[in-house]
Amino acid sequence: MTRSTGLLIKRRTTLLGAAGLAAAPFAAPHIARAADPIKIGLLLAKTGQIAGQTEYLANGSFLALEQRNKMVMGQPAELVWLDEPSPQGAVQNMQKLVQENKVCAVLGGSLSSNALGEEAKAAELKIPFVCDNAAATEITGKNCNRYTFRLNTPVAVQQRMLAPYALKSGKKWYHITASYAFGQDILRSSRALLKEAGGTEVGFDEVPLNTADFSSFILKIRQAKPDVVIGGLSGGDLTTFLKQWSELGMKGKIPFLEIAIGDTDIWGVGAEAANGTFTKLWDANNPKNTPEEKAFAEAYSKKHGKPPADKAWMGWITARSLFESIDAAKSTDADKIIEALEHWKVPAGDSSYSYRKFDHQMLVRNLAVSVKEKITDKWNFFDVKATLPENPADLDKVFGSQEEIGCKMG
Amino acid sequence: MLDILLSQTASGLVLGGLYVLIAIGLSIIFGLLGIVNFAHGAFFTLGAYLALTLVQLFGWPAVILSPVIVGGIGMLAERLLIRRLYDKEPLISLIVTFALALLIEATVRLIYGGIGQPFSPPPFMAGIFLWGPVLITKYRAGVLVTTAVVLLLLWLFLEKTPFGRILRAGSRDPEMVELLGINLPRVLTWVFGLGCAISGIAGLLAAPLWTVTPAMATNAIMPAFVVVAIGGLGSFAGAVIAGLLVGVVVALTIQFWPEASGAVMYLFMALMLLVRPRGLLGERWERFE
Repeated sequence: MTRSTGLLIKRRTTLLGAAGLAAAPFAAPHIARAADPIKIGLLLAKTGQIAGQTEYLANGSFLALEQRNKMVMGQPAELVWLDEPSPQGAVQNMQKLVQENKVCAVLGGSLSSNALGEEAKAAELKIPFVCDNAAATEITGKNCNRYTFRLNTPVAVQQRMLAPYALKSGKKWYHITASYAFGQDILRSSRALLKEAGGTEVGFDEVPLNTADFSSFILKIRQAKPDVVIGGLSGGDLTTFLKQWSELGMKGKIPFLEIAIGDTDIWGVGAEAANGTFTKLWDANNPKNTPEEKAFAEAYSKKHGKPPADKAWMGWITARSLFESIDAAKSTDADKIIEALEHWKVPAGDSSYSYRKFDHQMLVRNLAVSVKEKITDKWNFFDVKATLPENPADLDKVFGSQEEIGCKMG
Repeated sequence: MLDILLSQTASGLVLGGLYVLIAIGLSIIFGLLGIVNFAHGAFFTLGAYLALTLVQLFGWPAVILSPVIVGGIGMLAERLLIRRLYDKEPLISLIVTFALALLIEATVRLIYGGIGQPFSPPPFMAGIFLWGPVLITKYRAGVLVTTAVVLLLLWLFLEKTPFGRILRAGSRDPEMVELLGINLPRVLTWVFGLGCAISGIAGLLAAPLWTVTPAMATNAIMPAFVVVAIGGLGSFAGAVIAGLLVGVVVALTIQFWPEASGAVMYLFMALMLLVRPRGLLGERWERFE
């Protein structure tokens, strides 16, 4: 009997204890929430030709969190990184981040084709999405929505910045662009600028992604005898093209220009073969970098044993804008984060970094860079030729008015 | 017009030569072992990265060791993994070799990082040959010659040596070969190593032309499968003809219809399989039917 009673008491005690533990979160919701980490999604390709860039984007975002002692809004925070295997896969993973991992916002978008799908999904899921790499004009143009913010300068704007450098060499242009959103956008924008300047397109090729051999394309360019070649290739494809351009003896014979080069693209080409003039957002060796950027570069070099590529800065500045906006919002509520992102602003030398309210496009001056005549440091390939627009007051105008870019958030 | 056709054909032959080297190893492994090796592209990547490391450490002459090491790694993989797949469903070998490909790519990424590694042709092969309208770089001409030499040596090995005869006999009737007292498992290990080593040669030759990244196999493995399918599974001569044809067809498509250059090899394969399902020189093999 005693034994039986004892067991009964133990069972009751156990049941009560278990019920008490289960009820604890309801009894003290504030304490439980305070202990939960704030989760932020990171949606970047882990494989494929763009993986070389995304490694740096991710490194920059993780470093931005570490510099805050992994705290956002005074609470522990973590980045949950999922892959972008394809545009469809990227959209599925965004849904997974929101519905399974319960993230309050998402950083990412390594390719324009992925980001266009991701921004539509972000609007559907009503989750803030800060796009850190994709440059297709439509992202903050006609496809814009109130949940999407974007760092990279749109293709059309970068193309306008680069055009004067191309026109210096002549008005007979040859286009070689990737046959997906980014390349098609470059081709469209560049043709419009060339027409405006009264120039002629002497040839064009739309190249499939992951092309291994460009020699046949280069032979075509050689036959066409253009003044300038305008590129629209991305990641590993640009690296392969530049290697083979040099190998086929074209380096220095016809100028090659392209927007949005990444340091990782040119590092893979190597000092002997690298050539061309490009736009990019940031350079680790630019003396005009802000004290925060210099501190970031130092911390990055200390952690990874090499200087940060521009992509690392892109991952860092977008993550920083999001973390600081969540701090300012004092909430993980999507509407409050969006409002804070719209008001986020940090100094950048004689201008500042901020997102425009009507299209959520970050206003950032670009750099015009050319490959050095002689490369002595394997991490430093470029001479910064200019900061564009040269007058910071023109920044808003260069990015285009609401009517010009066609963004209607409703 | 003739000058354009000649230049593009020369360019296509170099690309085709690389496809042949990648495909021939795949074809040999399938023909003799019955394994569709999805990890073949990963051995191509290993060949490129080992060449890069050997050049950095010991200079250009050391690159010859790259395919030897790749072959050795292939033999080890056969002993530890592939050997267990010979009597299994083909689907299992596809899954296991695919997993092996992912493992090799991840290991390369862990050691070298994800970004492209700079690697240019050797200084003694810099420059171009210009014969009238035909332009070809010295390095690409070297790739063509090396490919021809490797294929000739391989053909002599398979056709004219006792070991080659054992390989061919083993692929047709393994039981009979074992009854003759030949250690067939050991022979198969060598075959797998040989196929991987040839893929390693392709990797080392492609490294100064392509971007050396952990994902570079993506650009190699699909054309290799297309070449093997067009040439006929397990056919040496078929793979050679198909590889060169694919290279030239791609080059000429770039000249006249560049938008289709990515799809043309698949269209070519579809047409070939419709007309001749066994491929150009594929034979009916009782072992696989």
